[in-house]
Parts: sequence; structure tokens; C-alpha cells
Amino acid sequence: MSEHSFDSAVEEVSNSMHPGASAGAESNRSRWKRVGTVALGGALVAFGLRRRSLGGTVLALVGGALSYRTLSDYLSDAGGTEPVERSITIDKPADELSDLARDPENLERIVGHFADVSAVGDERYRWSAAGPLARELSWEMEITTDESGERLRWETVDDDASGALFDAWSLSFDSAPGDRGTEVTLEVRLDPPGGTAGSAAVERLDVVPESLVGTALDRFKSLAETGTVPTTENRPSARGRGDLL
Amino acid sequence: MRALTWHGEKDVRVSEVPRPEIVEPTDAIVEITATAICGSDLHLYNDRMPGMREGDVLGHEPMGEVVETGDEVENLEVGDRVVVPFTISCGSCWFCEEDLYSLCDNSNPNAEMARKMMGQSPAGLFGYSHLLGGYAGGQAEYLRVPYADVGPIKIESDVPDEQVLFLSDVFPTGYMAAENADIEPEDTVAVWGCGPVGQFAVQSAQMMGANQVIAIDRVPERLEMAGTHGDAETINYEHADVYDQLMSMTGGRGPDRCIDAVGTEAHGTGLDGVSDRVKEGAKLQDDRPYVLREAIKCCRKGGTLSVPGVYLGRANVPFGPLMNKALTVKTGQTHMQRYLDPLLGKIEEGEIDPSFIISHQVGLEDGPEMYQTFNDKEDDCIKVVMTP
Repeated sequence: MSEHSFDSAVEEVSNSMHPGASAGAESNRSRWKRVGTVALGGALVAFGLRRRSLGGTVLALVGGALSYRTLSDYLSDAGGTEPVERSITIDKPADELSDLARDPENLERIVGHFADVSAVGDERYRWSAAGPLARELSWEMEITTDESGERLRWETVDDDASGALFDAWSLSFDSAPGDRGTEVTLEVRLDPPGGTAGSAAVERLDVVPESLVGTALDRFKSLAETGTVPTTENRPSARGRGDLL
Repeated sequence: MRALTWHGEKDVRVSEVPRPEIVEPTDAIVEITATAICGSDLHLYNDRMPGMREGDVLGHEPMGEVVETGDEVENLEVGDRVVVPFTISCGSCWFCEEDLYSLCDNSNPNAEMARKMMGQSPAGLFGYSHLLGGYAGGQAEYLRVPYADVGPIKIESDVPDEQVLFLSDVFPTGYMAAENADIEPEDTVAVWGCGPVGQFAVQSAQMMGANQVIAIDRVPERLEMAGTHGDAETINYEHADVYDQLMSMTGGRGPDRCIDAVGTEAHGTGLDGVSDRVKEGAKLQDDRPYVLREAIKCCRKGGTLSVPGVYLGRANVPFGPLMNKALTVKTGQTHMQRYLDPLLGKIEEGEIDPSFIISHQVGLEDGPEMYQTFNDKEDDCIKVVMTP
């Protein structure tokens, strides 16, 4: 798993929960459980954890339990294939954005918080992401819809033994009102390895889909508007350097 | 390098940490020559702000000399003397283009987490929790400054550090507080809190032509400073009822413009103050909005309430009076880049010398002790400046 932003946020909250715990010593499994906690019970958890008192801990646990339950129910109902959709407004024209998103190097930076992407053909990309227990997920996606400035869609084409994280990654572009630029919607259809629903799928997924999609859009926007993705890589602290995880 | 680092409630240490490096081509590295402790650092010191991690480098009021620039930095060169504003802004997003710099869309790498709590993420800040970016702060020998072409202001005159340092936060913050109050000539302006932001709000209100400025606090030396430097009338809230006093000073109308320069950790008096502490203890609220309530009660009908004071989460505020009295509320972290040039101009022209707020000048190694002194309002401490 590469260094990235929401991981550090998650780690920070989890460290509040377990002061003094070493991030490196934690298992993937417990770590990703907390990703779920943070992503959906975020507000409750953060408020609850502000003070490391019993009351705060209870509040945090309730928040965590609620969000975990919600996500589990959601995945059960959806059979693990319900698309996750989020939108963001980017201050650039739509065709510029679709060109940017098609370029594998840019795509790599957009999804760099959870995956690596490389081109294997004209419109074919290999994605890889760290799975649970250090297992590597790897899959190929192909552009199936390419309407410049309107819609771009990738679908997984070789769901090989190592498994794919999702089976569709789709961007659509709409003009925003006034001088706001373009409304970009990212829809991801999950296909967790094993395909099972419920909490098991969450652990296998290694991600909270909403956070993954939200952060990918944030990174897309920053890259488009500023040419860089904001980072605190190599941040000095009394913990040392480059302690994003 | 040496830096002041956070280790939990009332635990700030001098630590040896790695020196920052250029990460993005738009970064600069600044060698810090002066750095201050801000009143809002006390919210971190008292562990009230979520999202701090043990070992985080503190500080968001630094200045110094550029020692390294990334390949794409155009406005700064090695050797430039700069003040670094506390908000981090990309300069390219819609908010930056609208001069709403503290609402920058792109500078918080942890935007997703901030969004969970607030609905949308404001800008990243130096040394102010992982929720607001997780950037290392400036109470250190060196600081990495992202988007270096956008934030830092070059100081080309020979005005000493002490006079320009507060362009990093408290001077523009006090100024924006007064601007947000929509002050008109003949207005009476009441300012709650006479820390540095309150002092600059008082003086800015005077610059904007207020007829009468009333400063409210409980610390005698702060009130005295607002009186002598800011030409304000004063109320010590431990010795007088603020509502009664303000009504008698304004013919029963109430102040036209009210500024809450206190924020989350207000020390309320009486039952209301006790009630805030109880609700806070019972986790029913995250802030102690005593000043906010008092300002709503005191403000003239149809008046303006400006809030530069930092709030963190849920605050129990009487919305009924706010609505029925038709008050306007303006808030926000300071849109720093809007104010840097004009306020530097005022300093260079001698219109104001912000160094009047400095009560303590020490080395970085005295930082931990100074945090305590400042927090406890001991030793007439109003503003601490450190030289690494």
C-alpha cells in the first residue's frame, strides 16, 4: 500500500484510540476495520476521541459500531456490487479533464492512495493494490466508453486469480453553473475478491469505498487545478520522517 | 533540527526532528528567524482539537529566510526574507480566486476526513492537526512551505522581525474580524477577549472609524493594553455584569458591532459559565460558547456579530434571539493573502507597530515553559516570540 492521505488520517485517529501503539505492528485486518470506523462514523468517532475519557471512548465505539453495521448492511443488500458514486466540481473544462484522466501517469497519481496503474495497451491498464495479509490484488481494465468531455468508463477484463477490487471505474463530466468549471462524477462498481457480502467483504476489500472514491476525486481535482497532489510526505516530527502510515 | 513537538495535554517538548525537504516542485524551505505562540495553539496544548498525534511539530506564526526553492517556484529566491501565513492556499482553485484563501479546496491532504466532520474541508493549516492537513509547523528551525508562490510575503524593507512577524496570523485575523463586523462611522464596537487578536481587532476597529470601542476581558494587563494602545474603554467581566455595563454605555441600544475574539475556551461566570462546563463534561457540547451567547444577548438589534475566535464542534447557541434580533454573523479562518500587502504597507508607513503585543522573547528551548506561562496567563504574558 502506498503512502497516502486518508491512511494518515485514519492512523492518526487510531493512534488517539491506542496512544503509544506502533502503527507498523498493527495487522492489516485491524487497521482496515478502523478505516471503516473512521469513514462512516467519522464525526462521532472524532468528537468522541477528543478526550480520552470513558465517555469519549464510548461515543467513539458507538460511532464505530454504527458505521460498521451500516456498511455491512449496505453490502449485504447490494451483494457487493452496488456502485459507489461521488461528485466534485473542478475548475477546468471537461475535455481537459477527460484527457487528464485517460493518461495512465495521471491516473496513477489520482489513485495513488490505494493503487498503482500502468498502461499495458492503448486503452488497457493494469491496476494493482495491496490486499489483506499483504496479498496483492491485480487486474486489467479496458476503456469501454470514451466520449471526450462527457464520459469515460473502464471495465475489468481479466478477473484473474489474484482478483480485482472493482469491475467498473466510470467518470462523467457535466458543465457546472457560472464559472465553476466541471462537475465530475466518479462511479465505482465494487467486485470484492470472493464476492461475498457483509463484513467479510469489507475486510477483503481493504478499503472503505466512499473514502476511496472521495479521496480519488480530491486528488483528481488538485492535480487538475494545481499540477500537484497535496502531500505531507517526509513531514518532520518527533516520530521521525515520512511516517504517513 | 530542533522543534517544539506536541505529546498530549499540557505536554510540549523540545525535540530533535529531521529537517524538512522539498517534496513538490512548488515548495520552499524557510529557515525560521522568529516564531510565535498563538492563542489557538492553546487549544492544542489543552488537547481540545481532534486529530493531533504525539510528536507533531507545532506552530503557525513563523517568518524567516528562504534557503531552498523547488524548480517551479517563481516568486521567491534563496535569501528572501519572508513572513509565512498560517493558512496554506493553492492559489488556483475557485475559492482562492475569489479571495477566500482559508477555504482553499486543494491544500488539505486529509480533506476526506475533514469532510466527514464539517461537510466540506477548509484549507490546510501549518501545525494544526491532521484534520487540517497534518503539516509540520513553524516552531522549528526550518519549515517546508507548500505552494510557496502563493503564501509567503517578501519583506524588502529593513523593518525588524518583531514588527512584521504578526502578519503571519494575529494582525490580519484581528483586522478581518473588524472588517467582518461591517463597522460604520459612529458605531460602537464591543470586543470580547483582549489577547493579541482582540488587541488588533480593537485597533483595526479604530482604523475603520468606530466612534467607540469597548474591550472586555478579565486580565488587568490586557485591558490596560487595549486602553493605552487601542484607545478602548474597558470592562473587566469579573468585576461587572457585561450586559448591564454595555447597556449603560450605549443608552440601552447595545453595541452595534460585536467581535468574539475568545472562541471555544471562554471562561464564563455565574450559572451560565457553570452550565457550559457541565455540558462540556457530559459531552453534550464541544465548545464553551459563553462569549457567543453573551454577544448575541448584548448586540444591538440588526447588528453584526463577527467571530474570529476558534470553535471546534457543537456549541449550544441561542438561535432564537439571533434570528429575532436579525443579527448578521460573519466567521471564518482568516483569508490571509487578502491582507498581507495592505497591512505590510501600514506597518512600513508607521501607521501601526504590531510589536506592542510582545511580552516575552525567548529561545525555542524555553517554548514548553512559555506554553504553560501563556496558558496560565501568568507573568503578564500576552505574546511569546521565540528565536530558534
